[in-house]
Parts: sequence; structure tokens; C-alpha cells
Amino acid sequence: MKIAILSGKGGTGKTTVSNNLAALISEAVLIDCDVEEPNSHIFMVPRITGEEEIQTGYPVVDDDKCIHCRKCADFCHYNAIIAGAAATMPLKDLCHDCGGCRLVCPAGAITYEKKGIGTIYTGKSRFGSDFLYGQLHLGELSGVKIINRLNEMTADRDLVLVDSPPGTSCSTVAALEDSDYAVIVTEPTPFGVSDMKMVVEMLREMEIPFSVVVNKAGLGDKEVYDYCRGENLSISGEIPFDRSVAEAYASGKLAVEISDENRSLYNTLWLNIRKEAEKSHEN
Amino acid sequence: MNIAFCSTGCELKSELDDRFGRTTYFLIYKTETSEIICIENEARMAKGGAGSQAVQQLIDHNVSVVIAPEVGPQAMDALKRFNITPYNQKGAKTVEEALALWKDEKLPLIEEPGAKGLHKA
Repeated sequence: MKIAILSGKGGTGKTTVSNNLAALISEAVLIDCDVEEPNSHIFMVPRITGEEEIQTGYPVVDDDKCIHCRKCADFCHYNAIIAGAAATMPLKDLCHDCGGCRLVCPAGAITYEKKGIGTIYTGKSRFGSDFLYGQLHLGELSGVKIINRLNEMTADRDLVLVDSPPGTSCSTVAALEDSDYAVIVTEPTPFGVSDMKMVVEMLREMEIPFSVVVNKAGLGDKEVYDYCRGENLSISGEIPFDRSVAEAYASGKLAVEISDENRSLYNTLWLNIRKEAEKSHEN
Repeated sequence: MNIAFCSTGCELKSELDDRFGRTTYFLIYKTETSEIICIENEARMAKGGAGSQAVQQLIDHNVSVVIAPEVGPQAMDALKRFNITPYNQKGAKTVEEALALWKDEKLPLIEEPGAKGLHKA
């Protein structure tokens, strides 16, 4: 089973929830798909046993063969090729590696070359469980290829927890690929609720069953509860706001490490999530 | 020769736009005939690559000089490749003023590119 932990708004607690669960469940593989700003490795402190470079392709134009028909530039949806009578100029930073320009070129003037966009690190966490994370190079356009590869590398595993990217962008959609279940981590603030609504829409569109975890409960207002009731969303658990948890987090420690109370809170949360996930697949 | 201005409107009296790739219009002035062509900038709403799409439009309209507030690094490379010379519009408020300054050779060349766009996918 693959369970994606996501949020909409950043900073609501995706990493907190996914890492605490990963620390408790030794058979779970945690993958950090927030490749633009991965941070699970800070808590998992993995012993890295494997590194894989992820590449993307970009077009190169052979000026001797180019007949300046401009078909490649007309075709490119991302403005990654500029064409005029004088030259045909690909801009590799804008290319999405779709291969279309090569297909439409009647002169066979376009070939593709490869460049690295990031790295996937594989290892064992300090809790003894398997852990993988991706890191996109600074300035790169899209981490989707890295996320797809992370999914591919863990496709045969029995239990995968995904620390997803925030928002509802291409990266988040890629992280959700083949998820059996999703957990939206939200917070009782207007921003938390507003951004969560977009995630709810996305998950419904993708037909992925989900439930909600309210983190930092006790802060903010009641809007999130009203919204969940109105939309008939199930709440798998609430994590009360606790300064000692925040302090531990700031020094790289997880809630489940600092007290039995927190351990039992996350144990209960996991049982609820698993129950909801199994129930959603019975129907 | 065709000169392009980054403009907020379609007249010589229109104010200059303070963006290149995402300018509202390109106002193109033909030096031989003093004729003006106004083109709505298709790149204005581009998700990414506005600079390159802007350059493509200049190429399509046979522009050889562009008067701009600044030009990003990718657009700068493209302008060089297609022999389009960029001049800095500073000191001018309207297209008309910029044209007069350019005619008097009082506009400086843009030699260094500005900050790169965010290319949000």
C-alpha cells in the first residue's frame, strides 16, 4: 500500500507526520518526494548506500541540416526553441523533454542530449527502515522525473509512505501517482483550510481516497472542522500544538522520540489511518 | 529598420512598460516610413519562457533594435544570436521620448543581462 502525506499549505506538518510514522513502522519505506526542498533526511539521518543521477533530455540543432522552416519552434509549447531566418536556437532550461521538436523536424536536424537535473539517495534511516529522497539541482525547472523515479524504485514495496511536495503542482500530482490512500495534514488556520480545499479537489479528481489530520490543534479557529463536516471528510486524528515537540523538531528529534505520550498518539493515528485506508478499499 | 518599444499602449505618446518579456505591447516603429505597428505581446501571460517568446515575436516582425527596461540572460543570448540590439530605455517615460533619445544616440546599450525569470512550471 502506498500512502501519500500531503497538505496544500507548506509548513502544516507533512514531514512531521510522515517521519513520525516512518520512525514507528519499521516495515514502511519513507520516500521524500519534495525534491525542491527535501528535509526528511534531517530526521531520518540515513546511511546512504546508493546514489542515482536523474537526467533530462534537451534538443540540439545541427545548423548544417536545419532548413529554417520553424516547425520546431511553432510546435514547442514551452517556448524552448526560438527560430528565425538566421538561426534556430533551443533554450535547454525551458525544455520539458517531450521530444516533439525532433518528431516535427522534416530535415532531421534535431538530436537530443542529456543533462543531470538531480540525485536520488537511497539508504537506511537511523530507525533501521528503508528511506529514499530526491534532490533537484538548484535552478532546475521541474523535479517530476526524480519523483517518477522514486515511485518506480519503490513500486514493489508493501508499505510506502510519501512525504509529498506542498501545493497542487505537477510535482504533487507526480508524487501521488499510484497512491492507494492520502492523508491531508492541515492546521486550524484560514490559510491551512484555504489551501487544503485545492488538495481535496485534486484528490477527488484523481479518485484517491483520503482522510484529514489536524496538526497544531488548539491554535487558530474552528473553520477547518466546519469545512470537514460540510464536505463529509473524515478526520483520522488531531495532533495538539505542543511547544516541546516544536523544540525537539528544531534540534532534529521527532515527537515519538521524546515521550511515550507522543508515541501512543502517533500509534493511534497510524491505526486510524490504516483502518480508514483499508475501509476505503473494501467498497 | 524596425525598432521595437516595450509599451503600455499603442500610441507614440503611450508610456513605456517596465518589463521586457511580459510587456503589454510591442510598438514597432519603421524608420524608413515612420509607420507604427502595435502588437499585443503574446508572451505576457506565458507560464515560463516569456523572454524567449518575446524575442520570437521580434524576430517574426523583423526587428533589429529593441528599446527595453532590461533583458534576462536567456533573452539576451537570443537577441545576440539573431542580431537584435537592445538599448536601455532609462530617462524616457513615453515611446516618443525614447525614440527621440535613441535618434540622438543618447540611449545606452544593454550589455549585461538582468535577473533570470523564475520559470515556474
